[in-house]
Amino acid sequence: MITTERATRVARIGFGITVLAVIALAGIYARALAYTPVERTQGLAQKIFYLHVPAAWATFLAFGIAGVLSLLYLWLKDRRIDLFAEASAEVGVVLATILLTTGPIWAKPIWGTWWTWDARLTSTLFLFLLFIGYLLLRGAVTDPGMRARFSAVVGVMGLALIPFIHLTVYLFRTQHPEPIVLRTDGPALPGVMLVTLLASFGVFTMLYVGLVMQRYALGALRDLRLEREAHAAG
Amino acid sequence: MPPDNGNFMVAAYVVTAVIVLTYVVTLFLRVRRERRR
Repeated sequence: MITTERATRVARIGFGITVLAVIALAGIYARALAYTPVERTQGLAQKIFYLHVPAAWATFLAFGIAGVLSLLYLWLKDRRIDLFAEASAEVGVVLATILLTTGPIWAKPIWGTWWTWDARLTSTLFLFLLFIGYLLLRGAVTDPGMRARFSAVVGVMGLALIPFIHLTVYLFRTQHPEPIVLRTDGPALPGVMLVTLLASFGVFTMLYVGLVMQRYALGALRDLRLEREAHAAG
Repeated sequence: MPPDNGNFMVAAYVVTAVIVLTYVVTLFLRVRRERRR
């Protein structure tokens, strides 16, 4: 099990990475708003792209890692894996909140509606609600072993949903566009826009790493305190 | 002439900043409180 000193060190390093990521995010704001050209047909609203798409990447990264770790936990039963999965799921919910708010704000001027129940949007909302359920479940079960096992099963269900969400734009007729970067014929984006987007991908990934490290340390410190309290109570 | 929809862009950037900063601050405070207990 992780020690208090180690958890504190992880929290400090995570905080440092988070601060750097927030500064870098401010740089992305400056680059996207001041130095990246305005798209002709969509106007300024297209610049939401530089937050929405990287937030989507980071969301699926977070939920994907939470799902893989859930699977690993069911196999290895290591408490640290459960803590890591919990951290990734919580950070994923925060990132998904950005995804699911910037999406409708972008959709309104471009599609003429805040929301449409098409396959991509609906399945992403389901994934978000599933991980909200994951966190609520963790809060409701007091026994650590049962909590880890039950929530791992929910995490694996979330993992199964991710490839389906990726394929929705190919399998169904959706309002949501197909990927414009991950294409077999290369990104369909001018160089200056692509650089801003890729930099934003990097910043959101860094933000995820910093936040997960802090959240993991928080879970470990909480576990250590509960162990101390249980030991003191005899 | 591009459409005039800059207010939506501003809203999205503000919302993202608020969500990120709120979580960063609350997580920092939660870790600090747990370390002090």
